[in-house]
Amino acid sequence: MALREVAWRVTAHEILSALQEERGTGERAATYLLSPYGARMNRVMIAGNLSAPESIGRDPAQPFWRARLADPTGTVAVTAGGFQPRAMAQLRAGSAPRPALVVGKLHLYRGNDGTGYVSIRAEAVRTLDDEPMRTALADELAQSLDRLDLVERLMREPMVPDATLRSEGIAPVWLRAARESIRRYPSIDRPAFRGTLKQLLPVIEGRAAAPSSAPSIPPSVRVTRIEPPAPKHREAPSASERANESAFLDVMDELADGSMDGYADYRELRQRLAERGLSEDAAETILARLQDDGVVEEPIMGKLRRASALTDG
Amino acid sequence: MTEPVDASVPVDTRLKDLRPTDALVQILGRVVTVERREYTNRVDGRRRPFLSGLLSDGTATVRFSWWEPPAEGIERGVVLRAVNVQVREFRGRPELSFGFRTRVAPASPLELPPVDGDDIPLRKIRDLGGSDEGFRVEGRIVRLSTRSVTVGTEQRLIHEGLLADRTGSIAFTSWSDFDLKVGEAVRLAGAYVRIFRNRPQLNLDERSTAARIDGTELPQPEEVLTTAPRSIAEIEEAGGGESIALQGVVVGLLPPSGLVYRCPTCRRAVTGGICSTHGAVEGVADLRGRFVIDDGTSSATVNAAREDTEKLWGVTLEEALSRLRDAPDPTLLEEHLFEATLGTRLTIRGRASRDDFGLTVYPESIERTSIDLPTWARGLAARLGS
Repeated sequence: MALREVAWRVTAHEILSALQEERGTGERAATYLLSPYGARMNRVMIAGNLSAPESIGRDPAQPFWRARLADPTGTVAVTAGGFQPRAMAQLRAGSAPRPALVVGKLHLYRGNDGTGYVSIRAEAVRTLDDEPMRTALADELAQSLDRLDLVERLMREPMVPDATLRSEGIAPVWLRAARESIRRYPSIDRPAFRGTLKQLLPVIEGRAAAPSSAPSIPPSVRVTRIEPPAPKHREAPSASERANESAFLDVMDELADGSMDGYADYRELRQRLAERGLSEDAAETILARLQDDGVVEEPIMGKLRRASALTDG
Repeated sequence: MTEPVDASVPVDTRLKDLRPTDALVQILGRVVTVERREYTNRVDGRRRPFLSGLLSDGTATVRFSWWEPPAEGIERGVVLRAVNVQVREFRGRPELSFGFRTRVAPASPLELPPVDGDDIPLRKIRDLGGSDEGFRVEGRIVRLSTRSVTVGTEQRLIHEGLLADRTGSIAFTSWSDFDLKVGEAVRLAGAYVRIFRNRPQLNLDERSTAARIDGTELPQPEEVLTTAPRSIAEIEEAGGGESIALQGVVVGLLPPSGLVYRCPTCRRAVTGGICSTHGAVEGVADLRGRFVIDDGTSSATVNAAREDTEKLWGVTLEEALSRLRDAPDPTLLEEHLFEATLGTRLTIRGRASRDDFGLTVYPESIERTSIDLPTWARGLAARLGS
């Protein structure tokens, strides 16, 4: 039984800077985004100014809403769809920008050029008064500093055994996240993050209001990073693999065009491919590769579409 | 039974010291449980009786099998001395086998080793677990209450409480009255540990002893009951605790929360008007909240009863029922409860246990907690060097 994922207290900047993904294995495995601040995020909790929501669903039967959450360090997209009815209702409840707390799961979408777009799929949204807002930001700042301290300490003293650190009261999930963060971002400029975090102080101290939502979501975020030391080398696809890939995409497009919702049903797709002599395993492998390459996305379990469809939004 | 055995020459092996060997041993113990069973003799294929049960001498409890036992059997509670006993091992634990060479005779309870002897190890509360016995433990009585239970046709009083030292605290129950008082420091001996609701519990019986000690180094009850909050991850690592405190933020609400109906007899929640024990019942309305509390290191489920739920929600049971009359959808009430509590910072004290689903807290108190923002902000500014 998988334990509940912890809600990391993070700033918008930390979410936007987390472009390294860790996919779990096994049934119902969770996906994590590793941040250079030392978080291994599946679920996050973040406070900021939430803009009025806009509908981005194309199908009225499957509503999907998006708002922007701005804190002094950046702006991040918050979405909710029919699978999160409670969060969607709360997201839609605000017609004007308001200070709010959002608990949700991170979703990374990677475009064709490798640019990452992170958004929060909301589980719960609540409007906050001034003091709870400042408290939530203080919590974010304190824990962000704690995590940066831990990462920097582990970089200085990589040999300290986990048992020692745990006996000091450091949470196991924090340790794992910090070590993974160092591995994924070995040479990122972490001291600069403290300067970014400093921007929270005036709001926490009550000297400044939280910024209202920026006019638009930044189209992309670039983070200076070095690839993990030993990335898994992937063979260039062979000619027959390419042929199978294009067959996969052809059938997928055909199904998507013919469907009501614009998605290709994966089960139907597999069936069609099987008729063409492509085994289920082979289809699974191709799908994984196309998803990794950002060509295909599966925003809803079992529903596929071309990933480029989202970038126009 | 056979004629008395002369025990003056060989020495009894303490049950805690039993090791599987070829040599035969002599033991002394009280029959804790015994039952008559049958086995099929391999030579003549006939069914033969044998006795099987548990023996304890206060240092350990060991299973025994008695082949060709006396026809009249033996009674529970009797103290026996057995000579020429074979020690075997079963699943890593020693077992006793009384064969044709074994001589068994009754012995006096006075011959049993003293449970409070200096050779019995003194243990810290944190280290007690599993099915430990044969130890002594020193601690302060932090909490104590009595409860009347019906055993068969008999009414018996059990004494329940909490014992603490500097390493931790453990719940205890006693079937005997040791005239314990809250605040007393005691050395308990002859007790044994059993797991109860995922937590170790100390059990005392008529063989146990409780000696008053000075205990100046032991914590006072109020120290134990007002312990400072620890991170949820730490409490989780420790497997919970009898008296813990934690601070976190409400991030979720698990079903069933809000308005529930309980069986009037056993207080368990009824579904569809059916209690799983008492059948069709008229459910009694109640409020509850199963809050998910998260402090950034881990999360815990806090099961709040009516009073705490009303306090956190700001809605009483009566008001909830009247809302239900206006809008007959109980899930709406659950949503209202969640909206009213999401993001609130709480300090919770109580008992916590860990299982496959994580940490569950049975709260004794739940308080909304506000932060001293100016002080916190100054501390954060100092950390950022401004």
